Amino acid sequence: MSAPAPDPSGPAAAQGLVVLAAARWPERPQDSVAPLPGFILSSFQPLVAEVAGRCLRGRPSVEPAPRTGLLLASARGDTVTRAVVAAALAEGRPVPPLLFYQSNPNAVAGHVAARWGLDGPVVCTAPLGGTPESVLADALGCAALLIEDGDARQVLVVAAEQGGGAGESDHAVAVLVAAAAVPRRLVTSEGRDQRS
Amino acid sequence: MRDQGTPRPATARRVVLTGLDALSAHGRGAALVSSQVTSGTAAFATVERFGTQAFRVHRAALLPDAGTLLAELAGSVRRALAQAQADPRADAGAAACDTLLLAVHSDEPTPEGPLSRALSARCGLPAVTRLYTTACVAGSTAVADAAVLIASGRADRVVVAAGYLVEPVQYALFDAGRALSRDGEVRPFAADRKGALLGDGVATVVLEAAEAAEARGVPALAVLAGWGRAGDAHHVVRPRPDGLGLARAVDAALRRAGVGADRVGYVNANANGAVLGDSAEVEALRLVFGDAVGTVPVSSTKGVHGHALEGSALLELVITVEALRSGRLPVQAGLRTADPQCPLDLVLDHPRPSTARYALSLNSAFGGANTALLVGAA
Repeated sequence: MSAPAPDPSGPAAAQGLVVLAAARWPERPQDSVAPLPGFILSSFQPLVAEVAGRCLRGRPSVEPAPRTGLLLASARGDTVTRAVVAAALAEGRPVPPLLFYQSNPNAVAGHVAARWGLDGPVVCTAPLGGTPESVLADALGCAALLIEDGDARQVLVVAAEQGGGAGESDHAVAVLVAAAAVPRRLVTSEGRDQRS
Repeated sequence: MRDQGTPRPATARRVVLTGLDALSAHGRGAALVSSQVTSGTAAFATVERFGTQAFRVHRAALLPDAGTLLAELAGSVRRALAQAQADPRADAGAAACDTLLLAVHSDEPTPEGPLSRALSARCGLPAVTRLYTTACVAGSTAVADAAVLIASGRADRVVVAAGYLVEPVQYALFDAGRALSRDGEVRPFAADRKGALLGDGVATVVLEAAEAAEARGVPALAVLAGWGRAGDAHHVVRPRPDGLGLARAVDAALRRAGVGADRVGYVNANANGAVLGDSAEVEALRLVFGDAVGTVPVSSTKGVHGHALEGSALLELVITVEALRSGRLPVQAGLRTADPQCPLDLVLDHPRPSTARYALSLNSAFGGANTALLVGAA
């Protein structure tokens, strides 16, 4: 069972952002993820790359906008790689060298940025909220700061979590956002334009 | 290189630093750490904190009596708040800060709950607002966000804390990835550089609106004049060889401050002794300073305190601020064989006296993440 993907448009509007494209994983039962060369053992990095690709393939412009940033948010991060490394150490086995790179969320962020030509800021966070909605809201808030400050014109926000047991499976959303025409101060916390 | 982005609006508030703290293998406290680091006293020794028999490399820069990450972060935050005269214990009822941002590898469990919750509870601060995990630029990214919050008027005072204490998991990963220097020496920018060594690093900065600090009668230690972030869009972990991503981050920081590159009098470089990374940073500095690249003093203090991962950018920001305040630029330690491809004016042998008014603290990380923080003298 996967958590339902939160609708990003309201939380984005609440941060003064407009959604240019969005995607989620899974989209359907038995949805699949393409393997990601160079990353092993864990589903986290393929999940991030898959949902990011689905989002960017659906964006209005084919050309990447200059200064598109990448914000990767995950409350739990890559739990599988962490467990593999811990087990190897506990059992006195060598740590697979490829895990050096993938143990850090920046690595898959770098893959996505290089694949799609995103040359804005690269930021990874571990939001402290416990729900998909709160994780996405925090990530959108962080993206809004990047756009407001001018370091990014657009930001690809990816919120991804691996399943944590009890039948919970991997889930992720990706949202490409830009500054909304309506200033944030005129938007309610639910994302409605106060003037209307 | 110049990117016609939107600069900070003219109405933005000035951001100053009113509290600083640092911990490295040299000890605790911004003044002590900066003094030792500036003089080029390398702190690398054989690792005794945990067994390294299974690894290729056995050296790091460790604080002998380091406590837990929670304890050291809490101590650092308290010392910085005390300097900022914002100690919550001394000012009961008043919030010591509006926002607390934390840069660490993860929100690891502690006996007092998750690290973020335990830290704010121990320090009597509001809950951590956001936790940054962007590797070696985690702390500087948090500082940039803090600056935006203050400049835009959404916060008056923000505390940013960051830290990493060398432990077996990251050590094993760096060793497995052959990122550690096989001969146990760190030589940033040197021709014979062979990689990084890890080091303990914890730091805290208190950022504040200049007008708020002035109203409280608290002196500014320095100005955070500019900040910039940009990506390489190049590779999973390798830096862009031409340094363009880092150069764009510097350009954004300078533009935001309205300061020309010719007014920068010191660069605290990211270089950690990696062959590709150090070369890319040299190219970035060529793009930023042009023909003057050989006239700007540069040093990477990782040759002294090691690579503190998520703690590194904030530790190096504190060292950069103290360099401006003291008028002594840190030595580039570890360099014996100059790289003929490196035209930089490295601070060699002894700390260099300086009257610089602006200094840059640069950081880069996996994934092509680059940050630049421009510090101005108070």
